[in-house]
Amino acid sequence: MRLTVNGVEHDVASPPLATLLHVLREELVVTSPKAGCQQGGCGACTVLVDGEPRRACLTAVAAVDGAEVTTVEGLGEPDALSPVQTAFHEHYAAQCGFCTSGFVMAAEALRTRSNGDLEREEIIEALSGHLCRCTGYVKIVDAVAAS
Amino acid sequence: MTEVIVAASREEAVDAFGDGEGVTVVAGGTIVMPEITHGRLAPKRALLIGRAGLAGVRSENGRTVIGAGTTLADLEDAVEPLGTCARRVADLEIRGQATLGGNLCAPPGPEGPRGDLQAALLALDAEVRSTGAGGERTEPVADFLASGPEGRLVLDVSFAEPDAAATASVRRPHAHAYTVMRVCAARTGVELRVAVSGAGPQAVRSRAVEQSGDADRVLDDVSPHDDALASAWYRSKVLPVLVRRALDDLENR
Amino acid sequence: MKAVGARLPRYDGVAHVTGRTQYVDDVRIHGTLWCKALRSPHHSALIRSIDTSKAEALPGVHAVVTANDVPHNVYGHLEGLGVPADEPLLAEIDVRWKGQPIAAVAAESEEAAQAAVDAIEIVFEEREPILDIRAAADPGVDHFHQWGAVYPHFGPHNHRRVRKGDIDQAFDEADLIVEGVYRPQAIEHCPMETQVSLAVPEPSGRLVIYSCTQAMYFSMGVVAAHLEWPLNKLKFIGGTVGGGFGGKVDTATETIVSLLALKARRPVKWRYTREEEMLTSSTRAPWHIEIQDAVTNDGWILGRRTLTLHDAGGYARFSPYGVTKHAFHHTGAYTIPNLRFDGFVVFTNRVPTTAMRGFGVTSVSLAVELHMSRVAEQLGIDPLELRLKNANRVGDTTGNRVVMHDPSTVPVVLAAADAAGIELGADYRAMTPERRNGDLLPEHLVGQQAPDGEHLATYRGATNGGR
Repeated sequence: MRLTVNGVEHDVASPPLATLLHVLREELVVTSPKAGCQQGGCGACTVLVDGEPRRACLTAVAAVDGAEVTTVEGLGEPDALSPVQTAFHEHYAAQCGFCTSGFVMAAEALRTRSNGDLEREEIIEALSGHLCRCTGYVKIVDAVAAS
Repeated sequence: MTEVIVAASREEAVDAFGDGEGVTVVAGGTIVMPEITHGRLAPKRALLIGRAGLAGVRSENGRTVIGAGTTLADLEDAVEPLGTCARRVADLEIRGQATLGGNLCAPPGPEGPRGDLQAALLALDAEVRSTGAGGERTEPVADFLASGPEGRLVLDVSFAEPDAAATASVRRPHAHAYTVMRVCAARTGVELRVAVSGAGPQAVRSRAVEQSGDADRVLDDVSPHDDALASAWYRSKVLPVLVRRALDDLENR
Repeated sequence: MKAVGARLPRYDGVAHVTGRTQYVDDVRIHGTLWCKALRSPHHSALIRSIDTSKAEALPGVHAVVTANDVPHNVYGHLEGLGVPADEPLLAEIDVRWKGQPIAAVAAESEEAAQAAVDAIEIVFEEREPILDIRAAADPGVDHFHQWGAVYPHFGPHNHRRVRKGDIDQAFDEADLIVEGVYRPQAIEHCPMETQVSLAVPEPSGRLVIYSCTQAMYFSMGVVAAHLEWPLNKLKFIGGTVGGGFGGKVDTATETIVSLLALKARRPVKWRYTREEEMLTSSTRAPWHIEIQDAVTNDGWILGRRTLTLHDAGGYARFSPYGVTKHAFHHTGAYTIPNLRFDGFVVFTNRVPTTAMRGFGVTSVSLAVELHMSRVAEQLGIDPLELRLKNANRVGDTTGNRVVMHDPSTVPVVLAAADAAGIELGADYRAMTPERRNGDLLPEHLVGQQAPDGEHLATYRGATNGGR
């Protein structure tokens, strides 16, 4: 099996029913997507699969053989942050940071598919599958609105 | 060691499924993958059908035909009450993977009911085309559910658009909540169809309500249960209210 | 001090948004084994026998540990504060809550570790569980805890007590007694990062432990005590916590992975599943709080009797400390001169409870505020005016005789009323926190007032004695 992760092609040795999350974290050592619940309930594992936001913990790697996967590592560098990353940082949208990767990927996908201003309701709807136990969500929504 | 087949076509999927013996179907994976990850399910044979060309919505002889692999995201604007039911499942990321077939065949979860779309399909008097032992067959969704989805690979679901439809539900206020209970109602000509999900392991039609028009009679057709989401007592108090709301809403359409 | 008042970027902000923050589970050490634990399926049971031989023989299994492998198994987290130990790291004689760890395995994969756990043979003798704190100390209950139903080491007492003034006189003089019972329930911290730690044995004989703990030195001390090691043989790496909220002080995984790492001579990681986190990690405690206030018709609270039962679960952990904090705050933001408070730490067969934001205090704050509103309702007085009248003022003393120098009750209540658009009487709108006098200093509040102008932390003369 093959995956292109953040523009780099990899051969995948993990078993076909291994989750994309397992392949990214354990085999390819791409650790930004997190194992928050491993049952699709928290959004900490969200990555982009062919541009679409998906729960990596619910995705069998064989089902996405050949796909292009984007994680936070592929968005920007500390000295060249993406607009969404910049907004999250400037608006204090992360405290412990554990949920941040998932939120950032979901926000990136939302930005990509929308044109111009986003209503708060739209943002909340798009991010509603993501849990955060630290921030209370307001600053996350602020950041996405400003991004 | 699990044998994994990634079907590249409908024919390959049907062939690999055979009579379903020892086969675990993986469509969107939203229900099955956590079971595998946590070691509760160790499939002998896993059949991945996400790339088998089983998705898609089309019209045929005045009926809507929806492939079993169609995602819930692609059903958000479907004929009511299916559209509303699909829109209310989880969040957009889950809906982007979860499929109609997987939802229809969802076994009841330990913490609450699943299969939110079952009631919508019952209210639409949908037919299910499936393959398995004995080959392909088409049957009303109620019969499909009654005989159990085990051993069948759903290919598609079809229905005629009703004259009017309505739905009422009780949900907890966040995206991850399984719907506690939902009533779907539809009218075609003089025929009324009323279906309930969340008051038992699968969704069911309420013939008592359909025949009498009396919302309270819904309790003749269901045996509400206790689970992590709600008690049987709560369900039996609230369900007639949902039925009344759905019927009132239907009357106004 | 150019930082004060300035809007500074988080020092970890860029790392968070670029996915570069390294949590324990992101650390990659070659050769790391996975840990899984055998946990009690029963709320309360004796352990009759345990046999790990089949588990040890399974492929991929490098070590199995039980209580026998722990140099110092029963260690109390608060031994340094005088709270004796009651809880074993790994259960030995009995299990007291569903999910209590009994043994742990280190293996090449999670699946291999779980298979080994499933292969451990263990025989239990179930006991009737005790799950209701109100009934746990009933006569005739055969309680599981070696100390009995309640924690007995509050000095000479088996409860935390506050005594001030003359409670019987207050209740005699009252126009009305207002009673209430308040039962806040358990809350799970549910951090996005589950409990996790990774122990790495070094060739020098030291152990390096990557930990998600909120309290690095504290956890280091716990591990050292269980292993009977000097602190300088341990190196803790951490401080990056994916949410703790009080639930990552219990040092749930560190010692066990250390034992496995030493036995296997390989790094060992234990990452809780979400199920383990939800079902077996400690929670905020449930409480049962009964309040009786002796009040006058014109809204003075003359005295308060409080009985608190705190559900510690199977073991004491930090519960005595929580009940002590709870006791400090049982008058809330108000001045009540005659007090009788009794707080009990009760043992049940629930998951042991622990700190969570506002440990011990959120429960009594909830109870006190609900009770103040109940008092106001029964007296027919505005609930905010009742609070303003009885509010802490400069020179007032708390239940444990701490002197108020700058109490914020009055300005906060007034600001809240203003923000909510609630009209208050002119006298109340004019109130300040300044020292009580005139109408605001009735006779029953004279004894609790500290002398004017003295910078005291506590005033021992405040309605001294008490019964």
